[in-house]
Amino acid sequence: MAGEDVVAGIDVGSHNVSAVLLSPTGILGYAILASAEEGERAAKRALAQACARVGHASVPTVVVATGCGRGSVRFAVRESSEVVCQARGAHWLFPQARTVLNLGAESSRAVRISPDGRAAAFATNDKCAAGSGRFLELMARVLEVPLEEMGDLALAADARAEVSSRCAVFAESEVISHIHRGLPKAHILAGIHVAVVDRIVEIAGRIGVEREVVVTGGLALNRALLAELESRLGVPLLIPPEPRIVGALGAALAAMASPK
Amino acid sequence: MEPSFDRYRERRHEEARAWKERTGGKVVGLFCCDVPEELIHAAGMLPVRLLGEHEDTSEVDIHFPVNVCPYPKACFDQALKGQYDYLDGLVVPNVCDMVRAMFGSWQINFSLPFLYFLEVPQKISSQGIDFFTVELGRFRGALEDFGGHPIADDTLRQAIRLFNADRELLRQLSALRVTAGLPASSVQDAVLSSMVLPKEQHLELMKEALAEAATAPPADGLPLFLSASMLDESDFVRLIEECGGHIVADDMPAGTRYFQADVDEDDPNQLRALARRYLEDIPCPRKMLPEAHLARLLDMLEASGARGTIIHNLRACDCHLYEYPYFKKELEARGLPVLFFRGEETATEREQQRADIEAFIEIIAG
Repeated sequence: MAGEDVVAGIDVGSHNVSAVLLSPTGILGYAILASAEEGERAAKRALAQACARVGHASVPTVVVATGCGRGSVRFAVRESSEVVCQARGAHWLFPQARTVLNLGAESSRAVRISPDGRAAAFATNDKCAAGSGRFLELMARVLEVPLEEMGDLALAADARAEVSSRCAVFAESEVISHIHRGLPKAHILAGIHVAVVDRIVEIAGRIGVEREVVVTGGLALNRALLAELESRLGVPLLIPPEPRIVGALGAALAAMASPK
Repeated sequence: MEPSFDRYRERRHEEARAWKERTGGKVVGLFCCDVPEELIHAAGMLPVRLLGEHEDTSEVDIHFPVNVCPYPKACFDQALKGQYDYLDGLVVPNVCDMVRAMFGSWQINFSLPFLYFLEVPQKISSQGIDFFTVELGRFRGALEDFGGHPIADDTLRQAIRLFNADRELLRQLSALRVTAGLPASSVQDAVLSSMVLPKEQHLELMKEALAEAATAPPADGLPLFLSASMLDESDFVRLIEECGGHIVADDMPAGTRYFQADVDEDDPNQLRALARRYLEDIPCPRKMLPEAHLARLLDMLEASGARGTIIHNLRACDCHLYEYPYFKKELEARGLPVLFFRGEETATEREQQRADIEAFIEIIAG
């Protein structure tokens, strides 16, 4: 593969920084870093790691950045918004998709995709963290459950506790009350997942859900959330093999389309 | 041009205090676009639109809950902090629940020598014009009593001419958004300063601003239309500009609504002419049906060449919120994309708004 044919997309999110290497034949490799360091440094590290993993000798020069920290990636040839990149990435993976639900650490967004892969409409969560990955993280801490085990524990529940979906702070106090009352953790976890899905369904409803529906972002790794979401939306969900790199993939596709 | 107008909004309290000291005149505060400022000016007083500071509303939070309109709240906060200590009077129009609440709040907390509740009809009709004409006569009488002298017809006529002249220059400046790419934030700063400065002073500033605007580098952002409830600072418009948007036309109280219509100078019944201008000619969802409001909005939008519309609804401004679903449906049916915000004019929401505006612009630009 000629080095100059390879481009990269970088998604600087609030929790993860991901990099995707793209060649005209497909995805060469990727890397995901959970990073709190400065955006550009993390982006360089993610890009170097993606290159090292697949033995790609030189770091691509045509790089497009997306994500809330995209402005910090000064070596990018241009920036592209999360909404546009999610639509582009989801369309490339699933050309039949017309809706992408991007469920990240701090942002939940629904994007309607046009048949040619462009973002046609979108809606995002507002200021409250209810409905975001950060909310689940907070609840995991309160319940003293590892984040990655939350979904499976919730799936095993045979009942659900009521948890508010309006406000992350109120939800936290409700969860603490449930703990004090001695409710099983699994019931509380099931209720938490319902609350998160309530918010996601509300956001999706603002643009109208059109089949097929792709779910991306870190929350797409949570099986309980996906099961609840699928049941509430009443449509089967398409999940990419690695849902956390779809934004970076969309950015890489923009890089591929950029004039060299 | 831009920094000077920006400064006047920031310096509004100092400017009003300086005017008072210089002239010995009375300063009368007011809310909303429905109060005929010409009558206050003709009474020899300085009308000033109340404007808030939204980043720190620590004083008012003990008086009002968080889920009410932040605009009058922020104004009241300024008063509680003593910033409006120079006011001799206040006019509260009967426009919405929260502005109405300002009447009692001021009555309880401050002893203003002049506190007037202006009855404004709830819809545009010939009976409404008759009613408002009579009400403006009552208002004129109250100002005469407070000022201690009658308002001569000639003085009122001069005031009407002066305010019309300022509106004409604001219209010329606003037109430069389309013809010369003048940033809309400059126009909004000019409007906000007109709301708080003596009109004679503002008129002179406008002449300078127009001369300077002709030589300013043009904006090159995506042409957009902005429909908003009260935005009493230009930060949101500036944010749109930072994201690559260029507001070529707007329908908002601290924007086109302030200057788009004149008072008929030839009408021998001056109060009726004022009633017509303030009730009939200023679009606002609290007094007109969504269909009529949309028709006016579409006229401006289509003439402007805007490729999308941003609607900013000040949180808890129900009047504007009610018409949003209809506006969205009708605009999108015409192929005009819509981006909607419910905001509070605080910096905490800016980054979320920035992300959405950038995405909206990127989608339209393709």
